[in-house]
Amino acid sequence: MAFLELANLKKSFGATQVVHDFNMQIEKGEFISFLGPSGCGKTTVLRMIAGFETPSAGRIAIGGKEQNNLKPNKRNIGMVFQAYALFPNMTVHDNVAFGLKVAGEQATEIDQRVKEMLGLIKLDHLADRYPYQLSGGQQQRVALARALAVRPQVLLLDEPLSALDAKIRVSLREEIRAIQQKLGITTVFVTHDQEEALSISDRIVVMNAGRADQIGTPFEIYNTPATRFVASFVGTLNMIEAKVVDPAVNRIQIGDQGVTLKQSVAAFKAGDTVSLALRPEAGSLAESAPCDTKLTGQVVSAHFLGSVIRTRMNVGGNVISFDMFNSPGVTPPQAGETVTLRFMAADLLVIRD
Amino acid sequence: MKTSRLGAWIAIAFGSIYFLLPLIATIEFSLRMRRGTYSFDAYASVFSDAQFRETFGYSMLMALLTIIFGMLLVVPTAYWVRLRLPQIRPVVEFITLLPLVIPAIVIVFGYLRMYNSSSILPLTGSTSGTNVLLVLSYMTLSLPYMYRAVDTAMRAIDVRTLTEAAESLGASWTTIMFKCIFPNVMSGVLSGAFITLAIVMGEFTMAALLNRPAFGPYLQLVGANRAYEPSALAVIAFSITWLSMGLLNLASRFHRAAPAKS
Repeated sequence: MAFLELANLKKSFGATQVVHDFNMQIEKGEFISFLGPSGCGKTTVLRMIAGFETPSAGRIAIGGKEQNNLKPNKRNIGMVFQAYALFPNMTVHDNVAFGLKVAGEQATEIDQRVKEMLGLIKLDHLADRYPYQLSGGQQQRVALARALAVRPQVLLLDEPLSALDAKIRVSLREEIRAIQQKLGITTVFVTHDQEEALSISDRIVVMNAGRADQIGTPFEIYNTPATRFVASFVGTLNMIEAKVVDPAVNRIQIGDQGVTLKQSVAAFKAGDTVSLALRPEAGSLAESAPCDTKLTGQVVSAHFLGSVIRTRMNVGGNVISFDMFNSPGVTPPQAGETVTLRFMAADLLVIRD
Repeated sequence: MKTSRLGAWIAIAFGSIYFLLPLIATIEFSLRMRRGTYSFDAYASVFSDAQFRETFGYSMLMALLTIIFGMLLVVPTAYWVRLRLPQIRPVVEFITLLPLVIPAIVIVFGYLRMYNSSSILPLTGSTSGTNVLLVLSYMTLSLPYMYRAVDTAMRAIDVRTLTEAAESLGASWTTIMFKCIFPNVMSGVLSGAFITLAIVMGEFTMAALLNRPAFGPYLQLVGANRAYEPSALAVIAFSITWLSMGLLNLASRFHRAAPAKS
């Protein structure tokens, strides 16, 4: 049985349903990311787990015990907020000790645990500071220590890195992942940043309009997106419209060029339109590039992006972007030039809407 | 540019004379009790009056009780409105403003009708009951200032997130209120408390009509029967108000030195 179980979870605010039949099984010690754009329902699901929102229907269970009727202060869940939410009237030490004092632990145990937690986040030297005397990154680390101090069953992270600058965001997310792995705590992380989700998660739930469009490992989500939304939201992707020529042999046509897919199009009829996805990094212009499929088209533009050159080419009305690594020997193609894009047919994915 | 500056200085000078001259005259007059020389005789007379000590002590006690119970009413109300019922905020604000538009004499007549000795809740039937009624009426009078001061302080902190953070750490409603919310709105509570103190110390209508031995009616009594002592009392009353305003200023400075927003 899964450690954290969300079954048929629904949530409505008035007439608006924001979460539709959400199902998820999370194993003990897993790091799960809810990824999606603003308003997709990811934070609402997290708040339902924490007990701050009551589900309209469905079941939330932790360790087999139903949580629906438990108040937030009885769930033993640690939460870190985007806005840090440190108590401004308390020092770092007192913030971390707060949950332990509420639980009625002995003063010596509290001191020991606070020291341990501050050591974990490497801020033991700032124990006497007040929150307003700390940087954003330091405040968020204290908030993490405070949430972990009470030994929660589940750790919930509600966009904890969104208010921080780019450099701190990268270092803190690595720190969060390292601490999570060290403690083996089941963690649910909400973010709209795909890079964050891909870099630290065991599994990702891509959410769209209150539904989980796809649940999978970062590798699966990136390489085999299940829906058009997942494909477009995670990474940069070319969406190509093609016509099915012969479904029996997976033969399709892009513009006037025929391609045989590795994925099945047996569900389609000849003449149907099918959506295909191709990652920009999957194609190459180099003649030596390993390939079993080619598409010829005209270059629309070529943009120098530092380490890569992103080229856009027109193939039968579809504009396809692909990346070439920059090196002194590489000459970027010119607009209007006819080029041949080489790639593996397995990289051309059939996408359902 | 020069003309407008001159106009400003004239306005400041006029305002200063308008406000300070009567005050200086009152202070000067309060020192003239002894013929031909300045002295503190009027103040000595006031301080040696047992009724002064009694009424001053009584009003201070009433002010303290008003502040304590006012805080216990206003802080949870403002907190609850911000957290759970933001839609009724305009209604609550309107209610808290009512004491400013309804004269104190109307309110106290209403109380006397509602809580007289032949009513269901005969508060005026006993001394302690009348004292309770007086505290409640002072709470009503100070409500506009207390509510605004606390609500403004609450605006400076993220009440919802702090509450949720405390809840997720296992805190109960009372722990959240007294450990997380009260200390962070203390500057607002103190501001409201000092304004309440100033209001209660000078209030006449409620205390006089409820027949309680408060400082306001005593001021009126002395003013009607003596010459120099009323001026000394006026200076004392001013000093209390200014002390309250000074403490209020100090409280808001303390708040600025330690910003509540994390």
